[in-house]
Amino acid sequence: MTFSMLRSVVAIGISACLYTTSVDAQLDPLSVQIQPRAQSSLLLDIANAGDKLVAVGQRGNVLLLDDNQWHQVATPVLSQLTKVFFFDDKQGWAVGHDATIIHTQDGGLTWSVQMQSAEIEKPLLDIRFYSPVDGIAVGAYGLFYRTADGGKTWQQEFHQELLFEEDIAYLNELKAEDEALYLSERASLLPHFNRLIRLKDRRLLLVGELGMVAVSSDNGQTFSKTNFDYDGSMFNAIEVGEDVYVMGLRGHVFKSDLTLSSWQEVDLPVQSSINSALINANNELYLVGNAGIVLSVDDGKATIVARRQGENIVAIAKDSKGQLWFAGSKGLFQLD
Amino acid sequence: MLEKLVNGFESHLFRNRKWVIISFIFITFFLGYQASQLKMDAAFSKNIPLNHSYMQTYTKHQKDFGGANSIMVAVEDTSGNIFNPVFFDALKNVHDQLFFIPGVERSQVKSLFSPSTRFTEVVEDGFAGGPVIPADFRNDDYGLKIVRDNIEKAGIVGRLIGNDYTSAMVSAQLMEFDPQTGEAIDTIAFANQLEQELRGKFENDQIKIHIIGFAKMAGDVAEGAKGVLLFFLIAIAITAVMVYLFSKSIMLTILPLMCSLIAVFWQLGLLTVVGFGLDPMSILVPFLVFAIGVSHGVQMINAVRRRVLDGQTTKAAAASAFRSLLVPGGVALLSDTVGFLTLLAIDIGIIRELAISASLGVAVIILTNLILLPLVISYFELPNKQDDPEKRQKIENIWRALSKFATPKYAVVVLISTVILYVVGFQQASKMQIGDLQGGAPALHQDSRYNQDTFFITDHFSITTDVMTVIVEATPEACTYHSVLTQIDQFEWMMANTVGVESTASLASIAKKVNAGFNEGNPKWEILPRTTASLVQAVGQVPTTSGLLNSNCSVMPVYLFLKDHKAETIEVVVDKVKAVAAQLNSDTLQFKLASGPVGVMAATNEAVSEAQLPMMLYVYGAVFVLCLISFKSLKATIAVIIPLYVVSTLAQALMTLLDIGLAVSTLPVIALGVGIGVDYGIYILSTMSNKLSNGMPVQQAYFEALVERGSAVIFTGLTLAIGVSTWFFSDLKFQMDMGILLTFMFLVNMLGAIIILPALSAMFWRKK
Repeated sequence: MTFSMLRSVVAIGISACLYTTSVDAQLDPLSVQIQPRAQSSLLLDIANAGDKLVAVGQRGNVLLLDDNQWHQVATPVLSQLTKVFFFDDKQGWAVGHDATIIHTQDGGLTWSVQMQSAEIEKPLLDIRFYSPVDGIAVGAYGLFYRTADGGKTWQQEFHQELLFEEDIAYLNELKAEDEALYLSERASLLPHFNRLIRLKDRRLLLVGELGMVAVSSDNGQTFSKTNFDYDGSMFNAIEVGEDVYVMGLRGHVFKSDLTLSSWQEVDLPVQSSINSALINANNELYLVGNAGIVLSVDDGKATIVARRQGENIVAIAKDSKGQLWFAGSKGLFQLD
Repeated sequence: MLEKLVNGFESHLFRNRKWVIISFIFITFFLGYQASQLKMDAAFSKNIPLNHSYMQTYTKHQKDFGGANSIMVAVEDTSGNIFNPVFFDALKNVHDQLFFIPGVERSQVKSLFSPSTRFTEVVEDGFAGGPVIPADFRNDDYGLKIVRDNIEKAGIVGRLIGNDYTSAMVSAQLMEFDPQTGEAIDTIAFANQLEQELRGKFENDQIKIHIIGFAKMAGDVAEGAKGVLLFFLIAIAITAVMVYLFSKSIMLTILPLMCSLIAVFWQLGLLTVVGFGLDPMSILVPFLVFAIGVSHGVQMINAVRRRVLDGQTTKAAAASAFRSLLVPGGVALLSDTVGFLTLLAIDIGIIRELAISASLGVAVIILTNLILLPLVISYFELPNKQDDPEKRQKIENIWRALSKFATPKYAVVVLISTVILYVVGFQQASKMQIGDLQGGAPALHQDSRYNQDTFFITDHFSITTDVMTVIVEATPEACTYHSVLTQIDQFEWMMANTVGVESTASLASIAKKVNAGFNEGNPKWEILPRTTASLVQAVGQVPTTSGLLNSNCSVMPVYLFLKDHKAETIEVVVDKVKAVAAQLNSDTLQFKLASGPVGVMAATNEAVSEAQLPMMLYVYGAVFVLCLISFKSLKATIAVIIPLYVVSTLAQALMTLLDIGLAVSTLPVIALGVGIGVDYGIYILSTMSNKLSNGMPVQQAYFEALVERGSAVIFTGLTLAIGVSTWFFSDLKFQMDMGILLTFMFLVNMLGAIIILPALSAMFWRKK
């Protein structure tokens, strides 16, 4: 089964779905969230907030690393959080499923909801602010939101320029015939926007599904796709010195100079999806991915650092003491 | 009145003694034949409290999620690496052999070699996959390398392949009925086949076979229970020597032993008549029947011999002994019977069976040893040979010394020691644990092959046998509702965060993983999709054979894998399940305890600990009433009961010290111990109480009681203790536990009757 087929199944599902059951007896959300195993269960991202690390994951879980000790803080959501971003050591945002955006002003201690919409049934997958008030959140099926007021209000944008040409033609046809169907189809035709990074020259780089690697020079008003040969998903991107790496499905990592015009594949000794990357000392690149893979890439040569069985690694971060932390399907850990 | 009745009965019996004996012989032949038809019967359902609410849930869903009757065979390569042609040949042979053993559900045989063992990987345009062992598999280095890669992709390490790649698993489900013959599968025969066809054929220096599963355990337990026959012969031999030392006559040794064995035959034959089989636990009963029979037989020959020495003919002596022992012996045996019958109050099949077979057996002794024995003796001529007076003097000196316990001076010391013992014992007793305390199958020793196999498999695979299953009952197609799966997911999460729970599994958590699989294996999509279509797609990948849902997904179990099956662990988990379920339960969604091995244990533990107090109340109530009837004195009754109670407490303390938990097998021991232990006190005090009410000083009354009954009481205590002490050497852990506890109860109750009871009497009857 191909993913475009899957997608149409899902699309039909969205239009056909009605909530058939009433809300049943519920557990107290806070007691569901604050649990000892939060630290050793699915966590999907780690960000630096000043001296602290902030990790986010399933059930709206947020954990802070303070004095070498992780502790959990309460959040107002139970939706799975997929990404966390700090603009400075105080101001931070986390995004996740049910199009959730939560915000902190005190370095992650307390959180409030800025946006949440279970009806959209799509996750947000990344968020980035390029000034204290200007930010962009992106997600599945081309979900794209922009704020100019620090997240008090969010405006949805549709980036038609990232559609495939045949889809554009199809949509134009549909628009003339059936406005409603046009809107519902449009909502599922864009690829997943997995990761949005800001390069040192202030350009935005957006990577996503179906080999989408796009760049914007106008703070994301418009994107243009780069010349990228591979058509599998890209999950992450990182700027290292004069190079940019993008990484994704089945161990595919590509490297380009800052022109972003020609991508060279980096040979990896594994075929696991690569989820995240970090620059260690001396521009040494660490990659983490599914099947518990930790790789280091030095001078274009990748070597396996660790392989943790039965575990997917999704995030990697460095704490204030320079120690590496990892997050994934079995929570937070360090390498021995 | 009673005396007249007994006399009439006696003259009638003795006049027709030939016919009575002949009819006994006929009955013995009949019941002996019945006994030979007796079958070993180790049905699982007898061991569990079927009416407990957990077990009703268990029974209700047994068909869909039985799973309890599975067999796991781990094939180990002792060289430390399975990737070699010899091992793969062996594994394939084991797989094929298991497949063909009758009773195995062939569609459910799982191993590397089953076609259903496939790998799936995410590729750019969807999924790719195939069988882990490809159709063109060649058993050589090249072929093994492909298999090795596929194993990694299939994610079966820990389930079908040991975590350290030194072993691989073949698992199967056992059917209840043979599809060809339609008969119920004979678990024990099946276990023998596993032993012969798998272990016998394929185990060698390089390949080791480890087999676990209920059927294998039942087979090993039955095998271990066979050792009991040897113990029985040893018990007979030792008892024979003791009776000979006591009676100094070969004839008087053979007769009571023979009558007691007849009682055993009758008891076993009656089991078949009432439709019971012989269970590894109720094998205890023949030992008890034999020992109780012998001790009453010894009283009988003792009484006959004394009368012969007084100059009566053997026939007259036998008749007179019959007259004098029928009532006290009958009362003692009746009190044993009542003690056993109190066990009927416990709602566990096997304990009820024990209660019935033990009371049958004891009732039979009234016929064989109080009626048949004197009749048989009356045909013999006993020599009128007086005991050596010097020896008699020696024994009297012993009684004289013992009688000091009935003087106030010694009584105070005895009673103070008793109080200290009781206080210390009570503290220990209150720490007594409920349930099974050790890993592996509790019926078997830690070092038994079966438990060693269990430890091997739990060490090398991510598999534990300590599983509790919470059954989630909902409406048909409930698994397509996001809200239902979310609640199951939250329930599972709350349980995962419970002390003692190592890991969990449910349809909800698997569906999350499947959903991530549908999204390119991206962990960020490990969620329950809100869209029904996506949810159905994720859930649809989970087959009903996974045990995570039934065919219309109205029932979805949540599996809790615990760190052990100690009672305290189970209790914490059960309490948490109840608390979380109370918040989540609604008309359409119910979280119900419990299934799985630990679910059964939880129910059994609850039933056992709930039964303990009522059982003690019933036993002591029965003993109290019987004593009150026979002594017509509250003081005498209390003097008998206090030592019993102290000894019961000490027995519980012993359980704490020896790490024996209160379980189905040990629960009845205290009732049995009290029921039989009360005999000693009744014997001693019944001779004393007449003398005491006639104003005799306590010490003198006690001395005379000892002269008359002392040797019989001590002898009885020793015979009973020896009968059950052979169980120390049983291959079955619970038989050993029962043996230790019963030996303790029989011996110490005897000591209580000759030490604490006189001391109490010295206090109670001080003024006179």
